[in-house]
Amino acid sequence: MKKILKNNATLIALIAIGVLLTFLTKGSFFTSRNLTNVVRQVTIVGVIAVGMTMVILLGGIDLSVGSIVGLSAITVTLLMEKGVSVWLAIILTILLTGVLIGVWNGFLVAKYKIPAFIITLGMMTIARGLALTFSKGGSVPVKNNLFPRIGGAYISPGTSAIIIAIVLGIVIYSTFSGMKKKVKYGIELEKTKEMMSLVAKIIGVLFMFWVFVTYKGIPSPVAIFTVIALLGVFLLRNTKMGRNIYATGGNEEAARLSGINIFKVNMFVFTIVSALSSVSGIILASRLNGASPNLGNMFELDAIASVVIGGTSLNGGSGTITGTIIGAFIIGILNNGMSLLGVPSFYQLIVKGAIIIIAVWFDVVSKNKKVA
Amino acid sequence: MGEAILRMKNIVKDFPGVRALDHVDFEAYKGEVLVLAGENGAGKSTLMKVLSGVWAYPSYEGDIYVRGDLKRFRGTKEAENEGVAIIHQELNLISEMTVAENISLGRQATNKFGAIDWNLVNQKAKDILKQLNINNIKSTDKIKELTVGKQQMVEIAKALSLDAKVLVFDEPTSALTEKEVAELFKMIKSLKEKDVCMIYISHKMDEFKEIGDRVAVLRDGKTIGEVTKISDITLDDIIARMVGRDIKDMFPKVKAKIGEIVLEVKDFSVDHPFLVGEAMVKNVSFDVKAGEVLGISGLMGAGRTELVTGIFGAMPKDVEGEVYLNGEKLNITSPEAAIKAGIALITEDRKALGLFLDKSLEFNTTTTSKMLDDNSNRIGILNQLTGRGITEKYVKELKVKTPSIDVSVGTLSGGNQQKVIIGKWLATAPKVLILDEPTRGIDVGAKTEIYRLINKLAAEGVAIIMISSELPEIMGMSDRIMVMCEGEKVADIPREKATKEKVIAYATGNFREEKMNEKNLEK
Repeated sequence: MKKILKNNATLIALIAIGVLLTFLTKGSFFTSRNLTNVVRQVTIVGVIAVGMTMVILLGGIDLSVGSIVGLSAITVTLLMEKGVSVWLAIILTILLTGVLIGVWNGFLVAKYKIPAFIITLGMMTIARGLALTFSKGGSVPVKNNLFPRIGGAYISPGTSAIIIAIVLGIVIYSTFSGMKKKVKYGIELEKTKEMMSLVAKIIGVLFMFWVFVTYKGIPSPVAIFTVIALLGVFLLRNTKMGRNIYATGGNEEAARLSGINIFKVNMFVFTIVSALSSVSGIILASRLNGASPNLGNMFELDAIASVVIGGTSLNGGSGTITGTIIGAFIIGILNNGMSLLGVPSFYQLIVKGAIIIIAVWFDVVSKNKKVA
Repeated sequence: MGEAILRMKNIVKDFPGVRALDHVDFEAYKGEVLVLAGENGAGKSTLMKVLSGVWAYPSYEGDIYVRGDLKRFRGTKEAENEGVAIIHQELNLISEMTVAENISLGRQATNKFGAIDWNLVNQKAKDILKQLNINNIKSTDKIKELTVGKQQMVEIAKALSLDAKVLVFDEPTSALTEKEVAELFKMIKSLKEKDVCMIYISHKMDEFKEIGDRVAVLRDGKTIGEVTKISDITLDDIIARMVGRDIKDMFPKVKAKIGEIVLEVKDFSVDHPFLVGEAMVKNVSFDVKAGEVLGISGLMGAGRTELVTGIFGAMPKDVEGEVYLNGEKLNITSPEAAIKAGIALITEDRKALGLFLDKSLEFNTTTTSKMLDDNSNRIGILNQLTGRGITEKYVKELKVKTPSIDVSVGTLSGGNQQKVIIGKWLATAPKVLILDEPTRGIDVGAKTEIYRLINKLAAEGVAIIMISSELPEIMGMSDRIMVMCEGEKVADIPREKATKEKVIAYATGNFREEKMNEKNLEK
């Protein structure tokens, strides 16, 4: 029992904070409308945090993500202003502000072994400068009907209900087929653990059902985020590249001598995180129906905080995207809850900082205990 | 027999699910060296951690007496203050500081303003070095400029400056050259005369007789038999106590049928990674045949490790020369290419270069480029069940002792970790298996198992290259011994003609005389 508590400490903290906020706000936190908003807000940083998890797993860091959000928001809106069609503008933006910058960062880090901190610190300033230059310091409006829908639309409650029902089916099916496979290959089954995690998942999905279906349905950015997060989880857990990332982050020399191409792994990961940041910038511009060059300011800190609160080690090699998502939600509901409670934004910053420190402190202390 | 300085009585230490120490009981006397023998995982380290306060009271049961007084150490500092000092396998010195600073670390002499009095600090260090007759170390030398052997001397000086009554040596010779070992032993003998009580932990049997007075054997956390005078027991008996069974032959060499040449290396050179114009390996040519075990002997720094890592493609910019596998010329520019061609390298430093310590056995076994390729489909999605199957297979085959394949490798003993690495490389189905110091720091039982495994692989037709600094191992296991000295190949001796003396002579650069002697003999 103690072990279960410890392994799911962040999830339990998330639920506890949620319950606490519900009481403090006399229920206005716990409405499907408010929770839908929370999820919508979380997705913006959440998309970046998926990539950030991979970078930190490698033992690296990317400080340029926030500036890339600003740059990509400006780029996509400017391209559309110049008459480029919506989808082409989006693709060009992801390629130019995401992939290109990521390749550049990754190349310098992997080829010349320059610390990622420095490379991306420089890129943080460059990208912000580019955003300001392109926009001449002002904001860029969007005069297009399709573009705002990407980050602002909802999947209708009816369709949402069907989607979530299908998800529920998949969750249950995959748990049982997974258990069957384990039995077939003679892997020891921890039945109570499997059942508990299944029950937790079902509760989670039903909760989602309530939040989205009783309000306006699934917001489109949430759908995008969910797909990205699932792909990320799958990549880390079930692919060669995922293995390579954990191996390289865990012990780079051993990974190299095991035949893993460290250069390729670095290039891949830095490209992914930049590309995801630029996706995040596009969603944000779409939701705001316009862009300003200062968008995404300090997002790198929220993304890093999500990853760290989610239990990923800054030394690299261990951590999960699931943890990161929980971390992002902890930050998200804290922001939202404090606003609902009318806590002045100055205090909000202090609380947020304290939470990050406590999370890491807790992580370190509990890990030290494990050794003794 | 002198006064009992240390008594450990009925020490019990439990870890979740394992009893690491089970009523361990012994005394150590003034002016003696008590050898603590036991396989890895027998509980030696745990016992010493209890003694030195790493496992603080009351995390263990039982009593520790120093000079007859019951002591309960709540931390390493307390143990140190009571005169218990440990010379660790990994030295605990600060490499950027001087000898004097390290000796006085944390308790530097200060003047009346509270600032450090450097003259006094240096004087103290000089005094203690002089007391110990250490003449080749200056108190102002920086630690990083000293050899490992000298660093150890500094560590001993530091311990004695703390007025240590019990001095524990944890595998002190594992990184020393023979000359340094001799110096260390001289030091230990002189400390004996100064009535210091010493506990000596080692894997090397031949050291026991030379340095020890009495021996206590630990197995599975228990003291096996009485603490016995070294002069009253044979090494075979000590081994028998350690492993719980007789090992008649430490080196169960079986000659395999030797086939065609598998690996041929011509004019292979490796440049120094930092120094321009310096070479670590100079124009070395050799070959290995199927079923053959080629031992590579030499001193530290002879270029053995660089030669094999160079062949393995791990330093593509610094190498020159030709490598042929089954007669075909290879162009190896990365470990990935080497693995693909069928070469496997088991590195010397298990923890730094071989393992992902906090990852599972399954992760460690299946994380090589070849295994990942074999276990995944075209777009790189892994089939984790085949990976588990392969891991299970090698865990069984190599008799790895582990509760499951999902525990992290770091929790296993050294011998079992080494088996995991071997399993990982066997899974790549190598044609050439290179083992760099395959039995360093692992216990006798596991060593023998690894030797048997080498035999088995040779019998299956694998060409094996084994680097080892332990002469008995090289002599016992090789079909042919290649000796390197200062980056050059200086000898290639078939098993039948190899003697210890010959190998040492070549390795230390006295090969010319050796050749002369041979010529004289021929005459």
